[in-house]
Parts: sequence; C-alpha cells; structure tokens
Amino acid sequence: MSDEEHHFESSDAGASKTYPQQAGNIRKGGHIVIKGRPCKVVEVSTSKTGKHGHAKCHFVAIDIFTAKKLEDIVPSSHNCDVPHVNRIDYQLIDISEDGFVSLLTDSGGTKDDLKLPTDDNLSALMKSGFEEGKDVVVSVMSSMGEEQICAVKEVGGGK
Amino acid sequence: MFNGSAGVGAEDLSQLQSTMRAIELACSYIQINTNPAAAEATILSFHQSPQPYKACRFILENSQVASARFQAAAAIKEAAIREWSFLSTEDKGGLISFCLGYVMQHANSSDAYVFSKVSSVAAQLMKRGWLEFTPAEKEVFFYQINQAILGSRGLDVQFIGINFLESLVSEFSPSTSSAMSLPREFHENCRKSLEQNYLKTFYSWAQDAALSVTNKIVESHSDVPEVKVCNAALRLMHQILNWEFRYSKGGTKGSINVFSDGVRSDASSRKTECVIVQPGASWCDVLLSSSHVRWLINLYSSLRQKFAFEGYWLDCPVAVSARKLIVQLCSLAGEVFPSNNAQMREQHLLLLLSGVLPWIDPPDVISKEIEEGRSGSEMIDGCRALLAIATVTTPVVFDRLLRSIRPFGTLTLLSLLMSEVVKVLLANNNDQETWSYEARDILLDTWTTLLASMDGSGGNARLPPEGMHAAASLFSLIAESELKFASASSTTDEDDADCLASVSAMDERLGSYALIARAAVDATIPFLTTLFTDRVARLHQGRGTVDPTETLEEIYSLLLIIGHVLADEGEGETALVPDALQSHFVDVVEAGNHPVVLLSSSIIKFAEQCLDANMRSSIFSPRLMEAVIWFLARWSFTYLMLVEDCNLGSNQLQSLPSRACLFTFFNEHNQGKFVLDIIVRISLTSLMSYPGEKDLQELTCHQLLHALVRRRNICFHLLSLDSWRNLANAFANDKTLFLLNGVSQRSLAQTLVLSAYGMRSSDASNQYVKDLMAHMTSSLVDLANNSDLKNLAQQPDIIMLVSCVLERLRGAASATEPRTQRAIYEMGLSVMNPVLRLLEVYKHESAVIYLLLKFVVDWVDGQISYLEAHETAGVVNFCMSLLQIYSSHNIGKISLSLSSTLLNEAKTEKYKDLRALLQLLSHLCSKDMVDFSSDSIDAQSTNISQVVFFGLHIITPLITLELLKYPKLCFDYFSLISHMLEVYPETLAQLNSDAFNHVLTTVDFGLHQQDVDIVTMCLRALKALASYHYKETKAGNTGLGSHAAGHTDPNGVFHEGILSRFLRTLLQFLLFEDYSTDLVSTAADALFPLILCEPNLYQGLGNELIEKQGNPNFKTRLANALQVLTTSNQLSSSLDRVNYQRFRKNLNNFLIEVRGFLKTK
Repeated sequence: MSDEEHHFESSDAGASKTYPQQAGNIRKGGHIVIKGRPCKVVEVSTSKTGKHGHAKCHFVAIDIFTAKKLEDIVPSSHNCDVPHVNRIDYQLIDISEDGFVSLLTDSGGTKDDLKLPTDDNLSALMKSGFEEGKDVVVSVMSSMGEEQICAVKEVGGGK
Repeated sequence: MFNGSAGVGAEDLSQLQSTMRAIELACSYIQINTNPAAAEATILSFHQSPQPYKACRFILENSQVASARFQAAAAIKEAAIREWSFLSTEDKGGLISFCLGYVMQHANSSDAYVFSKVSSVAAQLMKRGWLEFTPAEKEVFFYQINQAILGSRGLDVQFIGINFLESLVSEFSPSTSSAMSLPREFHENCRKSLEQNYLKTFYSWAQDAALSVTNKIVESHSDVPEVKVCNAALRLMHQILNWEFRYSKGGTKGSINVFSDGVRSDASSRKTECVIVQPGASWCDVLLSSSHVRWLINLYSSLRQKFAFEGYWLDCPVAVSARKLIVQLCSLAGEVFPSNNAQMREQHLLLLLSGVLPWIDPPDVISKEIEEGRSGSEMIDGCRALLAIATVTTPVVFDRLLRSIRPFGTLTLLSLLMSEVVKVLLANNNDQETWSYEARDILLDTWTTLLASMDGSGGNARLPPEGMHAAASLFSLIAESELKFASASSTTDEDDADCLASVSAMDERLGSYALIARAAVDATIPFLTTLFTDRVARLHQGRGTVDPTETLEEIYSLLLIIGHVLADEGEGETALVPDALQSHFVDVVEAGNHPVVLLSSSIIKFAEQCLDANMRSSIFSPRLMEAVIWFLARWSFTYLMLVEDCNLGSNQLQSLPSRACLFTFFNEHNQGKFVLDIIVRISLTSLMSYPGEKDLQELTCHQLLHALVRRRNICFHLLSLDSWRNLANAFANDKTLFLLNGVSQRSLAQTLVLSAYGMRSSDASNQYVKDLMAHMTSSLVDLANNSDLKNLAQQPDIIMLVSCVLERLRGAASATEPRTQRAIYEMGLSVMNPVLRLLEVYKHESAVIYLLLKFVVDWVDGQISYLEAHETAGVVNFCMSLLQIYSSHNIGKISLSLSSTLLNEAKTEKYKDLRALLQLLSHLCSKDMVDFSSDSIDAQSTNISQVVFFGLHIITPLITLELLKYPKLCFDYFSLISHMLEVYPETLAQLNSDAFNHVLTTVDFGLHQQDVDIVTMCLRALKALASYHYKETKAGNTGLGSHAAGHTDPNGVFHEGILSRFLRTLLQFLLFEDYSTDLVSTAADALFPLILCEPNLYQGLGNELIEKQGNPNFKTRLANALQVLTTSNQLSSSLDRVNYQRFRKNLNNFLIEVRGFLKTK
C-alpha cells in the first residue's frame, strides 16, 4: 500500500488532481469539475453567443460522490478542469461492528479507513456475501481527495 | 355470472332485469369513478359471457342509461364476432336487422354516440357475414337502407341511413377496418366485393339524398334540419371517393396509365397530402355526365351567399364538407375520363376552377379581408384545389385552364397568389400558426408538383413565356423576403442554431424555391449573382466600422439558396447538373461568361478569403463558415472535376456549346485542380482555426471531405496536392487535430484512408495507410507496455488520448477496401494485445470500453471475409479473449450510485456494449457466408458456428431479461439466435445441456414478446430445430438426442424434452393468447414439424382439450377440427414446401373454427 500511495503523491501533488481539457471535447459520460466538485457529465448541449458568435457548451453533470446535479456554461474553445478519477479493486476481508470495512490491497497490506456504503442494498449484499464466505471484491472510487465504495462484485468461491 | 341462454318465462324476465341493473350500476360507477376496477370487471365478464344477445337486446330496448346501452351494443359485437362460426344463419341475420331496426326506430332521440355504436356494430357484423350471405339476403338489408336514404321515413331516418353506409364503407376499407381475427384474405375479398358491386350504388344514393334536400336548403334563409342530411351525404361522398380503388382499373395494379401527357405519383417531398382519385371508367356517369359537379358548385355558391344568415358561416360543417368534396373532385383522374375525349377532362377542371376562383381571386383583396378577421379556410381550400389540379395536369394544361375566362394564365394567378401570401407572411413573421404559413406550404407544393416533372424530363419541357416571367418575379420576391427575414432575425438568439438542423429543416422549402428559380434560370441566376456580389461588397465597405451581423446573416441565407438552385442533394448518388442549367444560356460560348460559372466563381473567391487570418476574425464567423462549407460540399459534388460520360444526361443536350463550357470549366484540365486545392485549404482552416466549433468540424469532415474522397477521380488529384499532404501530416502529428470531436476524428481517419485509393498501386496504397496510422498504433503499443500503465491510464489526458486514437483506428477500420485491406489488417494485428490490456485497465471507464469494442467490431467486419485460415484463427481467438475478459469484469457486478440518472446511464452503457458484442458475433458468422480467402476448404479452418455458440455462451449470462427490454438489443439478439438455429442446428445439438437450455429459455422468452418481428424470429428458430430433429431421426440419426428425449433428474422427477415443451407452449399460444394474424403462417411452419416429432404428445394434448369442453356440441366440433387439421388437404408426413403450405391453410381454418369457443369463458 505504502508503495502505491507514495507513487501517487510523487507525481506533482496539485496537478494530479485535475487536468485541463478543452470544453468542446468533454462529452457525455466524461468527467468535469464544476464548482470545485468532481462530476460525471450526463448532458452536453452547444449553443452560440448570438448568431455569429462562438460556440459554448452547456454541461449538466452529477457529483460523483453526493449525486447532486450541477450545471455550467463554458465557451467551447476554453479549458475546463477534468478530475482525475481513480478506481481500485480491493478484496473485502472484514466488516467491523462500527460499519468500517477492512480491504486487502494489491501489495498485501490492508486499508481500513472506509465505511460501508450508505446504500442499504449494497451494504446488505456485502454483508451477506461476506458472511457466506464468498470472495467479495469492492471497487473504490477516489477523486480530489475523497473516496467512496462504488461497486461490488461477488466472485464465486471457485474462481 | 351472466348466462344468456337461460330458461324462458317470468324467471327469465327477472334475470334479464337483474343483468340490466348490474350493467347500469357498473356503468354509473365508472362514470363517477367509484371502484372502477370492479365495475370494469363486471362489464368485461358481460362482454365475454356466452350468447349474451338476449340480455343485450333487453338492455338496449329498456335501459334508461345511455352508457349501459353502449356497453350492450359493444357486447353484441364482441360476442357475435367470437361466436360467429357457430351461430345459426337466422341468428346472424337477426342480430343485424335488430341493430338496423333499432337505430331507425330511435332515430330522433338523443345520445348520438349510442347510435353510431349500434350502427357500426351492424356494419361490422354485416362485414363478418359478407362472404356467406346470399345476394338476396344482402338485398333485404340494403332495400331497408335505400328506403331510409330516399327520405320516405323522415329526415332523421334518412340521416341514420347515410350514417350507416359511412360506417359500412369505413369498415370495408382496409386502413379503417376493425380486427376480426380472420386472415387478411378475408378483408381483401370483402373490399373487392364492395368496390365492385356496391360503392357506386352507395354514391348515387348519397347523391339522391343530397339532391332531395338541396332545394329546401337553397330556398331557406336560416338553418334548416335538411342541412344535417346534406352534410352527411357530402361526407359519405367524400369518404367513398377516398376509397383506394383497385379493381376497377383496366391496367395492372397500381399503374396510373392516365393521360398520355403524364401524371406524377411521386409526392415524396410534399407536405400536403393530395390523393389522386381514380375510380375507373364505370364511374363516369355518376361523377361526370350527371352534372354532379355543377350541382355541387351551385350548392356551394348558394351557401356562400347565406354566410351572413344565422346558422351558416364560412366554417359551418356543410360548407366545409362541400369544399372538401370540391377539392377532392379536382384530383379526379384515370379511366373515369374516356380516353377518346380529352376535352371532357379539361372542361371538368375548368368548371371546378371557375367554382374555386371566387375563393382566391383577386388575391390582394381576399388576403386583406382575411387579415381583417375573415376566416382563412376558404382561401386555403382554394390553394388545395390548385394543388390537386396541378397534380393531375401538366404545367401547360394547368396554365391554359384559366385563359378561357381570364386574360392571364393559371400560372400567373398562382404567382400572384403566392406573392401575396409571402408578403403577408413577411409582415407578421413572428407567428407560426397563421393561415399564410399553411397557404405558403400548399402553394409551394403546387409549384413543386408542376415543376418537378419538367426538371426530370430532359430539359426540353419549358413553361410558357408568361409562366416563366411569373416564376422569375415570384422568385425574386421570395429571395428578397428571405433576405429581409434573415437580416431581421440576425440578432435573435435562437437555441437550435446549429447549421445541420436548420439546413435540413429549411431544406424542403429551399428545394421548392430552387425549382421555381430553375423554371426561369435566364433571369434568376444573374439576379442571384447580383444579390451576392452586392452583399459581399457591403461587407467589405463596412469592415471594421459597421456591425456586419445583418449582412453576414444575409450571405448565410444566400449561400443556402444558391446551393439549392445550383445543385441537387446527392443522397449518395451522383447529383447531375440540373437540366435547366444545362439547357439554357444557349448563346454563351465562352466559359468565363457563363452565368453559372460566374456565380460559382464569385462564391469560391469569397470563400477563399477565409484563409487570411484578419479576414477570418472580422468576417468569417463560425456560422458563416458552416454555410461556406455546406455550399462547397454540395457544389463540388455536382460541378468539380466532372467525368464526361456519354451515358449521363440527356442526349440532345450533349452538343450544346454552352453546356460544354459549364462542364469543362471546373474539370481537371482547367480550373478544377486549382479549386480543389482551395477547398482542401479551406477545410484545413476550418478544422484548425475554429477550436471547439463542433458543428463546423462535423460538417467539414462528414459533408465536404468525405464527399470528395467518394469520387475516385478526385482521389488521384488529392494525393498530388501539397494541401492534402499538409492535412494528412496535421492529422498524424498536430496536437490541434487531437482536439477535434470524436466523431470528426473517426470520419477524418476514414476519409484519409479512403483517399489512399488515389495511389497508383496496391502496395503504394497500403504503404500510405501504414504511414498514416503508424503513429497511432505505436502510441497505443507504447502505452500498453508502460510499466506504470495502471496509474497512468487513469489520468484524464491519457484517457483522452486513448479515446482519440481508438476513434481514429475505428475510422480507418471502417474504410477497409480490398486495396488497403492488408495495411488495416496489420494495423489491427499490432494493437490486439494492447487492446486486451486496455480492456483490463479501463474496466471502470465505460466510455473507453465502448470505443474499444466498437473498434474491434468495425475492424472484424471489414477484415473477416478476406482472412486466410490461420489469420482467422488468430482473430477468432482474440475475439474470444475479448469476450471473456469483458464478461469476467461484468458478471455479478453491482454498481452503486446515489443518483438514479447515473444508474440509468450505466444501464444504457451496458446495453450499448452488449449490442456491440452481438454485432461482433454476427460479423464472425458472416465468414461462413462470404469468404474471399485464397485457401478454400482447409482442414485447419476454424469452425465458425462453434465459435459463435461459444461466444453466445459467454455473453448470454450478461443479457438479462431487463436488458432485452431495449428493442434494438432484443432484435439483434434474436436475429442472431434464429440465424444460428436455422443455419447450424447440428452445432446446437452438441452444446452441453446448460448452454442448450439457456439458449432455449431465451427463445421461450422471445415467444412471449409483443414485437411481431421477435416472435417471428423465435418461431423460425423453433421450426429449424424441430425440422432438423425430425429429418435426422427419420434418417436414423440421433438429432437433438437427449435434449429432445427428456430426462429424469436425481429426485426422480421427469423433465420432458425440449420439443414436447415447445409443442405445449406453441399450442397454448395459438389457441388461447392474443396475437397478430400475420403470425399464423410462421407459427404453422413451426407447429407442423413439432407435431411430427411428438405425435403422441400431440394426440394427448388434443384429447385433453376435447375433454375440457363441457358443451357436447363443442366437443364434436373440436374433435372434428383437430382431425381435419392433420388430415385434410392431403397432408402427408414429409417436410416439404407443399406440405408446409397445406398445413398453413389447415391451421388457418382450424383457428377460425375453434378459437371462438375456446376463448369463451
């Protein structure tokens, strides 16, 4: 784990969080920073400033952590910030009483600072899968200093 | 609950009354919305009860509740249609006479909807029995109706009689008939019989009825009840003429051998519908020789005088119906006019035109009246009449019509009328829903109809000089008003301002304008040149001092208009130079003076100025550039580097010197190469210098550049141009072009690869492609080999780079042609491993995954048919690894998001991925059909069917029933499945039982879909399966073996074989479920082999069905029908075409015979 963390921070701490990208190139399904929040774009439309003006992009996006909807309008030749969204799979090794989970990293260490997801279905699934002794793999999404469990996958005992 | 066939007597009466009360109660509950579900259930069970006729009659005659009577009528219809095959002849006739008698007796009461329901029930039952009633039996009904219509029983009954005929005609017309679960043939026979034997009689009855009340109406000064009858009669006549006549024509079906001087049936570009009425020769007496038209015109003109009186107004129902009929008679055509009497047709049209004239002439006066508050509907109907006349005449005849009564021709009137409408439209352009809008569209259609024929007829047809003059002045008015409109709207901030959308929206209108312009090119082309140069001069004068927006918008509009006038939309075909432009300007001998050359050159010269950075920033706004690019694309497709081909164009034009000027000026020996260079440089500018202007870039890539490389001869010249080399260089190396939108990147890659055709040899072409794409493939390989790929890959800039490269590879892959196939194969081969690596690291980045899959899909599609055996094996292995990796990432994965939008997005992404994978499998399938590889039957060749089944096995677990709700995915999936079962049933038989069952479970699922196509595909799959098994077992092989035999599981429970299961399902489906009758034949094809495979089970199921019937009468009928199903028509037990056909017929008869009572509860 330490190895990985180290590498992550070594690559220029500030710049690694976001990257500039031309607004006209950000498409539906891509990521964008709006009002300081990392978002996933769900709708892009273009319009013009006056008939003979330049194009601008209208983004509707959803905060990837809080699911809040945000909007922004940017001239399409200008740059937007695009967040670095990282997703890492871990194997679930324990669920503690207080709702924290214990995850196994690639390098063999553990990661214990994440809570069960707030979604009841998903946490129930994790618990039941865990109790039945199945291998449960969780994906953790991290961006701009925040982290969250975003997907669960049961890998049957045999595999 | 409801039992119609109860005993007789007092008990009976009380039961009828209680039924009536129950229905009345239910109806009133529905109305006040109290417990509607229970009330609906009551009514439904009433509808479905056996023989409810007595109760229905009782309710109709006694109930005070109108909606209960309505329901009773509905119940009669439903029960009678269902039980028709076992009603006695008296019962059938009795029900119809009851309904007819009922409406006539109660003709004067209110609740019109009940009467129209009862009369439509009578009409439906009449149609149901139409083919079994004898002429005498029908005569009895029609005598009654005729009496009613003649008016001997009063106005109300007269009205009811006409109304009944209206329902009858609409019931017999295929588009409005109601379903009777009978084969289409039945409806067709009914329609034929009515058309040949009754329609004309009905029409003359309606005429008689209308005539009988005409005097009363004409003489009265206020609303009289006769008006209602007259209106109904007019409506009936209109409806009858709307009939799609088929059988009265002498010629073959659908042919319009009308006038020697030609009638057009192509109305593709029309907005307004204009149906040509062609009832055939026998209608001449009713419509033409009986002074019917004169009567109608007189009736309407006397109505016009009454508009001031009470009860009449311009849009009162009878006036509207009369106008509709007049307009309809204008489009009368065909053999109804005796071929030896051309005069008659013109007289007929003249009569109508003179009747219509007061509605539209003089245009200025009438439009003023309308602007002051009069209704515009009469004027619009007048325009429709002109359109109808234009549809059945030629321009010359059309123009001549008016000359006998006015000093000018009809074309001049049309031009004046339209000018007036355009003026009004310009004056109040903010309102879309005005009469002038509609009138303009109709009049434009009229022009299109008149001129479109001339445009395609070889250029020798011309308007009369006066008509040409009319067209020219109309066009200049239109052009001026478009410009005025443009400059006025230049400041409004439209939301949908993207060029593509607005162009296609205006396209139709501009196309019609262009036809008008081409009708008078001598005047209009120089006029357009003047307008254009004037606006450009204005732009230059005011540069830097005046706000150019208005002028920019004017030039924008002008470019669109000129583009339409000079060239046609190619739509994938080569668009020729319009005939009018080829054939006119005969006195021009020098190319430089040809008006078309002058106009084109001035525009190209203007466009060239965008290469200058200063000019670009001050004049060439993105929107103007869009118009420039659009114009260049359209223009170059028609004019640039034409290959002179003797087969093109019409021969008599070949020799014209003016035409030669036009054709050679822009060819390769003349200005062509120079202009091509300018166009390429302009394209590069629009791609490089307008960052973020997505629409402009798409237009440049898709329309302009793509159109250029589609022309082979242009490719040769492109490759020799420095500017093209610059473009290719920029594509491979310049960062700016990586900023283009994904779709544009793909299109650009495709375009550049296609241009490789211009290389002299195949080797050179392959080398060109290799050089072009080397940079992309190596960047992908480098990335995949990077040791830190996992972290690196997640960076947004890397994601973007990968997306770009994948789009480009996909574009190149989709441009595969025999000449460049090798290079593109190698391109794909070199990125195979990187693709699998990336599939792994981007498993969470669905956008990239989709691009990856689509690239592979397109690449395989382009390559598969060329590959040699060992190459095929490599590609197939690669595809299978791809499927496996994809599947392992996605099986059992559950994503979490707090946002439902994002969850839906994720579902859609899955759907798109799976669809791509199915396409991949379908493409692999095609290897067995189309194969260009050199080694023929090779021992090592891959068994494609096994591979595809294996692939299906991998991905079907991902295709959940939830995902099959996406219609496209569902369609793709089942077409693949049915294809596989039809072509490779033997491979299916070798699958292990899990995989086998999975495939068949989905087929079972598909059988219960709503979509007819899906069900058809599943039925075809079943047919294939069962007939394979039958043929194999008959030949002594195992066929489907254990899958068909059934097995006993460890718990001792017997699971029946797959064919038995489907036999059961299919019978259940056919007998008890609702489906379209179109499916019966396909179902028969599946049922027949299933029965042959499982004869014992079939016997058992049949007996079970018979046992279930309580009624002994039905028992025998069912037993007979089952017997007949498998024995009649000399059905034998071999699976050949003839037998399938026989069985289809048998099944149809069987279903008609038994479905009625089997479905009765």
